[in-house]
Amino acid sequence: MHTMTSRERFMAALNGQSVDRLPVISVCQHATYDQMEQLNSAWPDAFHDAKLMAKLASGGQSILGFDAVRVPFCQTHEAEAFGAVLKYGGKLGLPSVDIHPYHIGDTIDFPADFLSKGRIPALLEAIRILKRDVGDQVIVMGGIIGAFSIASLLFGVTDYLKASFKKPSDLVPYIELCERAGTTLAKAMIEAGADVIVVEDMVASMDMISPKIYRTLAWEYEKDQVEALSVPTIIHICGKTDPIIVDIAKTGCAAISVETTVNIPKALENLQSEGLTTPLIGGVDPVKTLFTGQPEDVKYEVRNAIAEGLSMISPGCSVPPATRTANLRAMVDTAKEYQA
Amino acid sequence: MSTALESYARILIRYDLVGAAEVREIKATAKDSTLQEIMQCVIDGDSDAIGSLVKNALKTMDPMKVINEALIKGMGEVSRLWAEGTYYLPQVMVASDAMLEGIDLCEARLGKKMEKKGVVVTHTAEGDIHDLGQKIVNALLRANGYEVVDLGKDVPVDDVVAAVKKYEPLMVTGTALMTTTMTAFEKISNRLSAANINIPFVCGGGAVSNEYVTSYKYGVFGKDAQQAPQMVTDISDGASWQDLRERYNN
Repeated sequence: MHTMTSRERFMAALNGQSVDRLPVISVCQHATYDQMEQLNSAWPDAFHDAKLMAKLASGGQSILGFDAVRVPFCQTHEAEAFGAVLKYGGKLGLPSVDIHPYHIGDTIDFPADFLSKGRIPALLEAIRILKRDVGDQVIVMGGIIGAFSIASLLFGVTDYLKASFKKPSDLVPYIELCERAGTTLAKAMIEAGADVIVVEDMVASMDMISPKIYRTLAWEYEKDQVEALSVPTIIHICGKTDPIIVDIAKTGCAAISVETTVNIPKALENLQSEGLTTPLIGGVDPVKTLFTGQPEDVKYEVRNAIAEGLSMISPGCSVPPATRTANLRAMVDTAKEYQA
Repeated sequence: MSTALESYARILIRYDLVGAAEVREIKATAKDSTLQEIMQCVIDGDSDAIGSLVKNALKTMDPMKVINEALIKGMGEVSRLWAEGTYYLPQVMVASDAMLEGIDLCEARLGKKMEKKGVVVTHTAEGDIHDLGQKIVNALLRANGYEVVDLGKDVPVDDVVAAVKKYEPLMVTGTALMTTTMTAFEKISNRLSAANINIPFVCGGGAVSNEYVTSYKYGVFGKDAQQAPQMVTDISDGASWQDLRERYNN
């Protein structure tokens, strides 16, 4: 088989076609301190400045050798646009929501100038730059946050999870609003050049909610989003998604990103029995293996992931920023061992 | 007419609950119907109903009996249902709220705090404002009769060390969701060591792994929140941090 370009390989894998080797990507953020130093583009500036953001994200291709690059690095753009106050982590850490702007029961209006709020303009500009600079070689992924998860950031996760169990109907209008926010952002990303949209719905994890709550409050909005977008959508949910893997696939998403806690052979079997061919992406534990492990540990996991039938290799969640380049490169090196 | 029907229905429901071990996979039963109802409120996370039920029970019952045989027992059942995968996190959170509301009422009647089995200091790592994991640990420890000194989120290393000196807890816990914040744990370990304080430092959360936590002195990896009550019970029974590692981290 001829050697495919990264773009060909990625798209073929998404479509279930044969590939010369599995694509290696990072569905979630992949910036590291190593790359920041080599590219002379570091946090926190790279959270605000489009050029620095794009430069740091491009390390996914130029330094790590991945088949795709992605922005943003954090999970706070939509919530910030709704008025959440962020806490920055200086050079080392990601921003998180410090002050949740609303209480459950408040009336929330959709910000009229949503796309010009906070750091969204910089994020969209970074996608334009990535598309221009590396978009002919690798896939450019734009990351948004799932509606169920954005809404948790508006109220704080404790009150939100309690309400999701006690009075789920109270949350519906807010989640609808957040779906609109995510979809608006995703459409603007596509217009800016994003080839693929990643929806991170981290709070829809089974570590947080039950399958029943997922089906009531998260699934429908993921599905609406997938249907509204003109490019392939990858859904990422943290943790053991085994009980809802078929549901996620039924959103119509192009692929599902999973953590290493998911039983891959069983998940594939369950999908197959429903007539679903949705590819699964993952295989490498970001903390245990990438961050604290050695390249040999990474290689072991990647080989195992290939044997189990994953369609693309990726860390199962965000890459810890102190991860060594050698461990990330080992993902690509191992996939290349299988080059046809 | 409708009122009569409703109360009839209530009688049926109540009757159903007394000693009805198998209902909804609930295995625990209380000794009488009043305690059973309170226990059921905890299991259902029903903060709306628990207040009046507990107040009613306290007219005739010893507060400690209500705490031990209904409130804590109900939460124990919730923990079990969570451990076996029947319950999910939101159910544990609302159950804990209901239990604590009941305990507050009982303590008010006692005129003092219930006697605790011991103290645990808990915190979320410096720089990290994701404290959900810590809150669950707090709830489970309280449900098992321990006093929790909750230092909250984004806690400076100095404050953790100071709290350990002040409260002399059985153990101290740290949770971290973000890998950028977990290095604070090593600093705490070093400071405790420098002060010659020998104490199990149980760390957990999405950012940390067994390998990392067991790389520094006193560190015991907490795989999930449910382990916390058993760990502190082991410590009460004389286990050292090395013993805990042996038991939980191998």
